[in-house]
Amino acid sequence: MSWSVLSYGVVSPGGMGVDALSRPWLPTATQSADGTRRHTTFLVDREAPDLKRSQREPRLRRASPLSSYLLEAARQALEAAPGVDRKKTGVVASLFLGCLVYSIRFYRQLTEDGRRFASPLLFPETVFNSPLSHVVTTLGLGGPVYSQVGDTSSWATALRTADCWLTNGSAEHVLVLGAEEFEPHALDAFHAAGFFRKPTAVSEGAGALLLSREGPGVALMGVADGYAFHSRNAANGAATRCLRNFSEEIPILDTAVGWTRTIKIPPDRPVVENLVANPCLAGTAAFAWDTILAAEILKNSATPKSLVIPYWGHTHQCAAAHLARP
Amino acid sequence: MISRVAVTGLGCVTALGGDVSATWEGLLAGRTARGPITAIPVGGCRVTEGAQADLTDWPGYTQRELGRFSRASRLALPAVREALAGAGLLDAEGRCVLDRLEMVVSTTACGMEKGEGFLKSVWAGDFREQPARVARYQAQQQIAEIQRHFGFDGPATMIANACAGGGNAIGHALDLLRAGEVGPVLAGGYEALCELVFTGFDSMQSLAPEACRPFDVNRNGLMLGEGAAFLVLEREESARSRGARVLGYVAGYGSTTDTGHLTQPAQDGGPLEQAVRTALEQAGLSPSRVGYLNAHGTGTPLNDGAEAAVLARVFGGGPTRISSTKAALGHTLGAAGAIEAILTLQALQTGCLPPQIHLQTPEPVIADMLAGMDEQVSIEAAMSVNLGFGGSNAALLFLRA
Repeated sequence: MSWSVLSYGVVSPGGMGVDALSRPWLPTATQSADGTRRHTTFLVDREAPDLKRSQREPRLRRASPLSSYLLEAARQALEAAPGVDRKKTGVVASLFLGCLVYSIRFYRQLTEDGRRFASPLLFPETVFNSPLSHVVTTLGLGGPVYSQVGDTSSWATALRTADCWLTNGSAEHVLVLGAEEFEPHALDAFHAAGFFRKPTAVSEGAGALLLSREGPGVALMGVADGYAFHSRNAANGAATRCLRNFSEEIPILDTAVGWTRTIKIPPDRPVVENLVANPCLAGTAAFAWDTILAAEILKNSATPKSLVIPYWGHTHQCAAAHLARP
Repeated sequence: MISRVAVTGLGCVTALGGDVSATWEGLLAGRTARGPITAIPVGGCRVTEGAQADLTDWPGYTQRELGRFSRASRLALPAVREALAGAGLLDAEGRCVLDRLEMVVSTTACGMEKGEGFLKSVWAGDFREQPARVARYQAQQQIAEIQRHFGFDGPATMIANACAGGGNAIGHALDLLRAGEVGPVLAGGYEALCELVFTGFDSMQSLAPEACRPFDVNRNGLMLGEGAAFLVLEREESARSRGARVLGYVAGYGSTTDTGHLTQPAQDGGPLEQAVRTALEQAGLSPSRVGYLNAHGTGTPLNDGAEAAVLARVFGGGPTRISSTKAALGHTLGAAGAIEAILTLQALQTGCLPPQIHLQTPEPVIADMLAGMDEQVSIEAAMSVNLGFGGSNAALLFLRA
């Protein structure tokens, strides 16, 4: 595997573009839906002009925040690579939480008002693949299209899907997207799941990586995916098995947040401190950002020439990717 | 030279039965699983009937333990067991003989009733069951339960391309094997009835108030159902070398996205036709070689109209027989493509065709192509097609072993 990383796109609480990942973000204290506690959150400005412009598209007037995050991140990546033939570009999105805002709104409405009064306009926007359908339509992409769900580490699965399409020739280029939208019920769910036993800020946004069969610069060299753990105690073993797929000399970028900070990287392996200014739990978006930052490190620094980026999932599995500068 | 991709294991749970043979027998007998929905609350909906599956007990688990599983897991586990056993991948203790087994799975609602229960508990300030509900909701939790129960791990791709996802899952498994994946791949889908989705379709007035009538000019909606289906796919040489019985081949896959509307197909079905023709091209077959086609055929006016137009254009005048099994099994959303792939393979293997039930006045453009009761033909190739929200289309082409 050697697929060129052509460009990126970022929607984050710090704003649009990769530079926003290195700026300190403004934290807010957000109340959980049950009203019993507050947690630190970093939230995207949903009124930002770059996001609002998507709502001028007739089809996107009612679309979820998730749709606008995905669209903006994808648009940035494509605009940074103007030579790309969009008709030969596939797109795969990985989602940990999915269409949370509209799903909860729809369910609350039918619960409180009665099923007979559920909104037929809202329901289609609760479906996992609606946001990506909006992206494909708006940007005119003609390659294969998958919405994928799962653990936070499903970002790695999306990278493998891109690899499959590029290997088979199903697409000349693939946009790999990771995106999450925040809704206060997520705080209740994360609390119930024990994510806050270690102090963890929660965030939202999107990241896009445009991969190509050919091109200069940093390349995706490999993905190791599917090292499952059934308890947090077993996660160390899964991580160790995962890292065995990569040469011991390749430095590992520290991407752990929250409870995954307890996963130990073998002591004989070099570790590069992540330069992300705002460590946070942002599902697949966070792993997209980590991958983009790793590509930036490789592009702009003499060393290292190669990095392994771990994607320690919060609920299911460990995965990792290998980026290198030729 | 790319190896042929063989199917070596099939397993399903549907509202007509708890395995492939019971489902198949029910279909050929012309039965429908339509009945009152009791598994989820549907009071206040315009339609309160659908195709609800019976959950079976699971060896080694108490009722209390079974109650902790999501309905989705209760449907998926027996289907996985049947598929792995058929492929010869289970040992005497019912554990998978492989340490790592790639999975590609489709769902649209995961373990949704657990998520719904979580939300209600938050609104009620009831914290007792919250961790368990959160832990059983998301799609990766059903995958984890499958992996834990059968004792394997490995990559798991969960495709959520709405009602085409099951077809996409099998197609992606084919793509992975063609791209170099060496071991077998367990591909399929699962879907359990849940309040949010049932009410959603009811709110759109998409549910048939009476019998679901795919490809009938008086069709008036779909019947929601539930179920799970899994297939074991592997390279032919892998299957032959371990002595597995080859049940058929996956020879072509086409997927397209219809960008016209979020929930309605293009009236002429252009993007679906493109998916169908891609699958045929991959297999190197002309339409006249396809003996049976399991149509998406939801029973909604727009879907069946567009689909019938495509099927008439591509297969009209040829020998292809067509039926939609959703009139019998219901529309199982993320599981539909996988269930229907199994039924397509059954038709290939046996030559028996699932009849188009509930047909009174057939859609004229394909009236002479719809399969009736007790049809038996010898066919070498068969196809399954699916459409979904978001414009997802998938077409799979299978060859007889």
